[in-house]
Amino acid sequence: MINRRHFLTTVAVGTASAGVLAACGTGSSTSGQTGSADNPVTINYTWWGNDDRAERTRKAIALFESKNPDIKVNGNFTDFAGYWQKRATEAAGGGLPDVMQWDLSYLRDYGQRNQLLDLGTVKINTDAFEKSLLPSGQIKGKTYGIPTSTNAFAVYYDPAKLASLGIAEPDGSWTYKEFNTFLTEVGSKSNGALFGGTDYTGVWWMFNVWLRQNNIEAFTSEGKLGFSKDDLKKWWNLTADLRGTPAIVSEERVTQLAPKSPFGSNVTATEVTWDNFMAGYLGDSGAKELKLVPVPSDDADNLGLFLKPSMLMVASAKTKFKDAAARFIDFMVNDPEVGQIFKTSRGVPASKTQRDGTTFEGTDKVVVDYETSISQYLKDAPEPPIVGFGTLETSFKRIASDLNYGKLDINGATDAWFKEAEDLIKQNA
Amino acid sequence: MDARAGYTFLLPWLLGFIALTVGPMISSLYLSFTNYNLFEPPKWIGLDNYITLFQDERFLQSVGVTVGYVVFGTPLKLAAALAVAMLLNSKRRGQGFYRSAFYAPSLIGASVSIAIVWKAMFGDSGPVDQGLSFFGINLGGWVGNPTMTMPMFILLTVWQFGAPMVIFLAGLKQIPNELYEAASMDGAGPVRKFFNITWPMLSPVIFFNLLMETIHAFQIFASAFIISNGEGGPAGSTLFYTLYLYLRGFSDFRMGYASAMAWLLVIVVGIITLIFFKTSKSWVHYSGDSK
Repeated sequence: MINRRHFLTTVAVGTASAGVLAACGTGSSTSGQTGSADNPVTINYTWWGNDDRAERTRKAIALFESKNPDIKVNGNFTDFAGYWQKRATEAAGGGLPDVMQWDLSYLRDYGQRNQLLDLGTVKINTDAFEKSLLPSGQIKGKTYGIPTSTNAFAVYYDPAKLASLGIAEPDGSWTYKEFNTFLTEVGSKSNGALFGGTDYTGVWWMFNVWLRQNNIEAFTSEGKLGFSKDDLKKWWNLTADLRGTPAIVSEERVTQLAPKSPFGSNVTATEVTWDNFMAGYLGDSGAKELKLVPVPSDDADNLGLFLKPSMLMVASAKTKFKDAAARFIDFMVNDPEVGQIFKTSRGVPASKTQRDGTTFEGTDKVVVDYETSISQYLKDAPEPPIVGFGTLETSFKRIASDLNYGKLDINGATDAWFKEAEDLIKQNA
Repeated sequence: MDARAGYTFLLPWLLGFIALTVGPMISSLYLSFTNYNLFEPPKWIGLDNYITLFQDERFLQSVGVTVGYVVFGTPLKLAAALAVAMLLNSKRRGQGFYRSAFYAPSLIGASVSIAIVWKAMFGDSGPVDQGLSFFGINLGGWVGNPTMTMPMFILLTVWQFGAPMVIFLAGLKQIPNELYEAASMDGAGPVRKFFNITWPMLSPVIFFNLLMETIHAFQIFASAFIISNGEGGPAGSTLFYTLYLYLRGFSDFRMGYASAMAWLLVIVVGIITLIFFKTSKSWVHYSGDSK
């Protein structure tokens, strides 16, 4: 039995490698292989997201293929967590897909290690982009990613739930103390049926917003931590009095509900996160409408907010179809019809051409209006974070969860995170 | 001449063994002494990975979780397997059906779908929570409660007792009935018969099952990965060794570190196996010994 299995595997490997060798022998010009309508080239495209996004992406791909008969796009998707594990194995084997949806957190990991194509060497039109946004896709002067869209941090709430508790809707001009009072009020008025929110100090990007409110940079230009242990302790202390009370949903519930969020599961009245999660939350919760207001800040003039590329389009450094990949990326970020298909499910379209060509209604309009309303507070988008940032973001969430479980106290949690962060920075130095 | 023919026929297997097992093992041994992030060539760092391991709290936690699982899960599973095997080792109608029914979970138990079912069963207001609440025990969902996740995983492994059970059954059939008859004549009760006949006669099979199940338990991965969404939570209570190894390798891109973990596991399991074999002389009786 084992003999046969090993034999079959050997044969399979042999056959596959012969195919790879054969593939290596063909075509090599500067723009890579090109196809024709009769003999189209096929590029692989991969993205993360739920079924809703998959449906929209398939529509966009079909549209692209009808406009570009010389290119076929082979699409493939997974959820966010599994996405990066897959990319890691593919990169190790030299087989990244030609075009990929990408996240800012992982841009350095792959860009700095020569896994991504320098998009400055191919033709992609970026005239319609805000000049302040493009640097988020650049590392050391080379462009590795083109933002598809932007998102910003916000507080979500469900007006119907607040109305049923007799609580006035917030206007978003609040300090952390006022925000905490609001969360507590929800918890006490609902008698525990509805929690105020999730522990917002467990979210790295909210911490980053808070740091910006205090004029502290998260990472220095040398790739070191820009904040101290005391800063992090202060941050985790913000909700110290709320943990274990109905103001904040218990970590047990959060774990049970995962991968759905407590807010999407109608367990909490608010959620502090990216504004492009709107479509997902509406679908999950079944709420009629959800509203967005700015995050709390103790400095009314500095909300620490910024527009982040909610996702980027990148190409593999090893793609054999540079020209086709560039045309597909250009299409996905600029085409107005693509904007019509995605609306705000990827975030608010970054390219003005695409944004102007899209009609936003209902909840999509809520997201666009929110980003317009905060425009006076917006500061520069962050540069791509340090190598290994994805790991740090995950461990931030995990350690904050340990804090909520009572496994660690604030000092222990701070030490644990700093140890992991310093170890990681040393590792990648 | 015969040898050459033999090797020729072995060749397909041998090639696969070398290319797919020995080769990767040797390269992982090399990688365990390097800093390797999957993208750039590995950098030799000597024993650093092995030294860092013992200062890594998450690693020590994963060892604790795994050892707890092996120490409690394996004996319970074997006890269940032996008990059911003894119940099924009699000539009654429908035994074939019962054997299949008890064996089935071990075929599907390690699958992704069962892990998902398990997660749903032990979640908030899942059947387990509801059933216990009916008797006035309000534990809430087990999945989100760090103290209840381990019992949940142990139940999952105990439930898959079918594979060792079948082996126990085969072993029980080998015990000559005359021994029991003679013991009955001398007035031995069922407990006496179990400890003086069944246990020693079955000891080689018990030994085999104990060894296989222990090694197997160290490698738990899929169910932990699914139930904890690949994170090892809540509060690290399901951070099994192989799960942490996987996270280190494929989430944190520290393949050298992960390789060191893999080799440490191989060495430790090897040592445990050796200890089992050494101590087995005192309690395992092979039929050849007395014949």
